[in-house]
Amino acid sequence: MATRESLREALKMVIDPELGLNLVDLGLIYDIDLDEDSIHITMTLTTAGCPLHESMIEAVRHVAQSADLTKSVFIDLVWDPPWTPERMSEDAKKALGWAAVREP
Amino acid sequence: MNAPAALASTLAPPFSMVSKYFIASLFSFVLLCGVMVLSVPELQGHHFQPKLLALTHIATLGWITMIIFGAMFQLVPVVLEVRLFSARLGEVQFWLYTVGTAGLVYGFWFFRVGAHLTASAAIVTLAMLLFIINIVATMGRVKQWNLTGLFLLFSLVYLGITAVAGLLLSINLGYPFISRIHLDYLKIHAHMGFIGWVAMVIMGVGLKLIPMFGLSHGFSTKPARAALVLVNVGLLGLSIEWLFTGAEWLLTSYVVILVLGLLAFIVQLVLILKHRMRRIFDLGMKHSVVAFSYFLLSIIFGFVLAVVEIDDVKLREGLILMYGGMIMLGFFSMLIVGQMYKIVPFLVWFHTFSDKVGKEPVPMLKDMFSEKVGNMQFWILNAGIVLVLVGLGSSQSMVLTIGLTAMFIASLMVAFNIAAVFRLRSRHGNKRIPA
Repeated sequence: MATRESLREALKMVIDPELGLNLVDLGLIYDIDLDEDSIHITMTLTTAGCPLHESMIEAVRHVAQSADLTKSVFIDLVWDPPWTPERMSEDAKKALGWAAVREP
Repeated sequence: MNAPAALASTLAPPFSMVSKYFIASLFSFVLLCGVMVLSVPELQGHHFQPKLLALTHIATLGWITMIIFGAMFQLVPVVLEVRLFSARLGEVQFWLYTVGTAGLVYGFWFFRVGAHLTASAAIVTLAMLLFIINIVATMGRVKQWNLTGLFLLFSLVYLGITAVAGLLLSINLGYPFISRIHLDYLKIHAHMGFIGWVAMVIMGVGLKLIPMFGLSHGFSTKPARAALVLVNVGLLGLSIEWLFTGAEWLLTSYVVILVLGLLAFIVQLVLILKHRMRRIFDLGMKHSVVAFSYFLLSIIFGFVLAVVEIDDVKLREGLILMYGGMIMLGFFSMLIVGQMYKIVPFLVWFHTFSDKVGKEPVPMLKDMFSEKVGNMQFWILNAGIVLVLVGLGSSQSMVLTIGLTAMFIASLMVAFNIAAVFRLRSRHGNKRIPA
């Protein structure tokens, strides 16, 4: 049975090919909601009009569906609240060259 | 919540059409670097002579404009969230443009002015017209304009002016009819081409791509907006003054306005880079930062050339060639090589691996070519360009030859790396994305 945590872990498989970081660590997955028969994922992307749009959404859908074949998967792509670099995990920030994470 | 934008794959033009432009452009770059090695004596004379005109047009048409066409076909739909008006028109344009460019370069090299040169120039102009029509028709579908779109729209106007001025010049070489000094028209042709067309495209596209690659958020775009206005006023003013012999003070004012506009864009770039979250520069960004430094250098250098009187003819010619080299090699070529490392892997990745993400391991963009070769190439290209500029400015054949040879080696390394990216596509199947 998939849980929020297991789904979050599974979504780390989806990697942005340009940055080499997964969507979870990038802070692009805003919310995962589970009920009896569906999975709702609210997510964003780093840039509106990002050419990777569809690939990323489809990959998230695929991963979520594989985690629980019995549920319907709904993906909500939102631009509000906008993504900001502060949403990234410490590991992601480090990978992008922030030796010591500065306060914004 | 905003409605999600139209999906990228439904907007992307076919791989085969876009990739032709990239491959032809890369071929031109290698050809340019190779022929330059063999043209050292010609590179030390006056800037207006047959072999140099041939080289300039391999660079401007075959290398620079060719890749802008390919990149704009790929980027305009994505950036403006509309479908390309016609991929087929893009295909027709490619063949016309390639034939016309080859004819024009041949015509300059062997100085076949008259019918041959005019016909070639007419074909190139027609191809450019098709491009303008295609992109304007695409832009007609735009619901939400952004700054990038505006820069690109203006760049098309200047592409048109450059093409028409070029066509008139080519006719004039065979059948003199322009009563005014030919070199005055050349001034318009060159400045519209370099600043109006190429630099305007670079500014517009850079405004979108540099923040995207650098993960820059929350910066003001005021400098870019100022740049858009100032560069347009400066360029249009200059062309009018050149055409109708305006007052000296007006010419100077327009040059100042233009220079301020270009500097405003540099300020914008610094702002974007300051706000970047991705602190480490990758191969593409390293090239780009060097390129933009040459941009700044050439603005200052050009301004000095325009205001300082240099009596020594040989020195003046050398410095003009150095100025051209700064723009075409240091700025444009360096930037294009850098952006190729970003755009071509994405193009191939998108058409080959995008439906496999999350299902099977897919390569990262930077793993699609050899970073080691790329890094070596970066330094060789840098050294080559510096030597070429010094060689041009000081008329030192030996320095020039060594620099050009280094550039040729670097161009082969770029070709090797980009070919590796394209090979991934043939190795991993040709999934066709509906266009």
